[in-house]
Amino acid sequence: MIRLEQITKTYDAGENAVQALRGVDVSIEDGEFIAVIGPSGSGKSTLMHILGCLDTPTTGKYWLDEQDVAELTARTLARIRNRKIGFVFQTFNLLPRASVLKNVELPLLYAGLPAGERRERAHAALERVGLGNRPKARPNELSGGQRQRVAIARALVNNPSLVLADEPTGNLDQKTGSEIIEIFEKLAGEETIVLVTHDPAIAARTQRRIKIVDGLIDSPDA
Amino acid sequence: MILFESILDGIKDIKDHLGRTLLQLVGIILGAGSIVATFSLSVAGKAASMEYYRLSGGIQKIFIWNQPTGKVTLDAKALASKGLTWRDAVAVQRDAKEIDLVSPVSSQPMIVRYREIEKTRGVMGVMPAYSPMNDVHAARGRFITDNDIQTGARVVVFGSERAAEFFSTDDPIGKTVTINGTGYQVVGVMEEKYFSFDHKRNVLRWMNRQIYIPITTYFIRKGETLERGRVDMINARMIDVKKHEEAVDQIRKVLLREHGVKDFEVMSRVANLKRNEQNNRMYDMTFMICGIISLLVGGIVVMNIQLASFNERVREVGTRKAVGASPAQIFGQFLAESVLVSVFGGFLGLFVGKVFTDAIAALTRDPAIITADTIVKALIFAAGTGLVFGMYPALRASRLNPIEALRTE
Repeated sequence: MIRLEQITKTYDAGENAVQALRGVDVSIEDGEFIAVIGPSGSGKSTLMHILGCLDTPTTGKYWLDEQDVAELTARTLARIRNRKIGFVFQTFNLLPRASVLKNVELPLLYAGLPAGERRERAHAALERVGLGNRPKARPNELSGGQRQRVAIARALVNNPSLVLADEPTGNLDQKTGSEIIEIFEKLAGEETIVLVTHDPAIAARTQRRIKIVDGLIDSPDA
Repeated sequence: MILFESILDGIKDIKDHLGRTLLQLVGIILGAGSIVATFSLSVAGKAASMEYYRLSGGIQKIFIWNQPTGKVTLDAKALASKGLTWRDAVAVQRDAKEIDLVSPVSSQPMIVRYREIEKTRGVMGVMPAYSPMNDVHAARGRFITDNDIQTGARVVVFGSERAAEFFSTDDPIGKTVTINGTGYQVVGVMEEKYFSFDHKRNVLRWMNRQIYIPITTYFIRKGETLERGRVDMINARMIDVKKHEEAVDQIRKVLLREHGVKDFEVMSRVANLKRNEQNNRMYDMTFMICGIISLLVGGIVVMNIQLASFNERVREVGTRKAVGASPAQIFGQFLAESVLVSVFGGFLGLFVGKVFTDAIAALTRDPAIITADTIVKALIFAAGTGLVFGMYPALRASRLNPIEALRTE
């Protein structure tokens, strides 16, 4: 359960401060599969960063599982990202020198889990995205679609409250992208997924769309 | 756990970029190498000189010379002085409380003959105390005794090399030799003394090349009275090394009283040792400073490379932060990497140090000992360099803003 209340974000760039978000209210139920859409410069990315606890809002409240995370320190935010949030990036962001398994284990490593448990859970996460057969491979030995599956497995491995996917199909061809969205569709219901996209066809496959224009929600229940 | 993973990552990193890593580590390798060389040479040098002292009578030995060493202008009174005499030795023995053994020594070349072998060799008039004081003992027969001194006996004791020279395979004991035309009976042969700093030259060989007669006999033969007999040098031994200054001081007072002027010099080995230690410290310091400067330069290189590798890995750091690495964890990881790399360099430095040490030892013929203590010190210095110079890159990585990091191409 996620709730944003009157979130604003102002970037202080000297005299001309930029207000990226101007009072955003959003509620997301557990297991929802939502798309965030909007033109570039609308505040979409800022909203993503705040949802993902990479950044804190200037004002407003952000309730993540009954906890207000709006005003936490860098250390506590790191902890929350580690335990409650899974990221999927457009450019995958896998560690190039580490194996698939090590990449998926990464969040668990920072959570301080013992090696045996890390391996077990990483294997399970890879199974969920249909990539259980190549745990030893290096990312550069995989296709783009496979790499994105690894990234999704990494996002899922810590059983997050929220999976955030930022243009996850942006670097993939249409067919592969569609397969990735299929994975999200399958996960919907079990996981809360927020997907940022500018592709209306992909947005259409989610259960609900939030459109942002000029730092405000344009159509909360489109 | 994360530390362990970081170390594994670090090892992988070293393996992946071995050439770059080695280049990065040149400073640290040389620094650790010089530290190893410094300690090895200085430890060995100290051990060797202690061993030399121990084998030749210990650090409690005191030398009393006839003239003051150094450029002291002697006044008329000092010039007129009869120098060190038998009486002085007796006075020192009687009045210097911190002294237990005294032996005046006088020597000059004499013609020594045994059968058809005749050679001019140094002959030394000594007291019985000479033997314990110099830790040189009779291997066969006996040394000069108090009785020999009292009676002015015509007995002689040969050093091992001299015995071989004159007697070859004959048993010297009981044989008669003539010294400057007078017959002497051989009563003893001394043990062979050996010590070498370089496994080549026996620095105690001079002991094996002595021929000893009672000092009283020496004076009688020279036609001098015992009372006025001038000696070359007086050897003495202090009772307690901790009171070495008092011992030397007592001797000075006694001799000043006897002579009225300072026409002598008293030197103790303890004082010598202390002075040498100071000199060695200077030498050690110079080498240490070279090592430390190498390490500093090495550290700066490590820092640079860490910063470069951090710039290459901004996205990686961003990713790690996104999945929940805390600033402290990133800091620890980067720091562990530079420490690991530096310790690796230190380890290679040990081998370089070994080469340095062997080369210097071969050149100067000084011995060198690489101890575990030295190895630990070199590694700690290397690790410390990594720790200090890894701090800044690690701090930068830990403070990286993940949003910006992920945006970097």
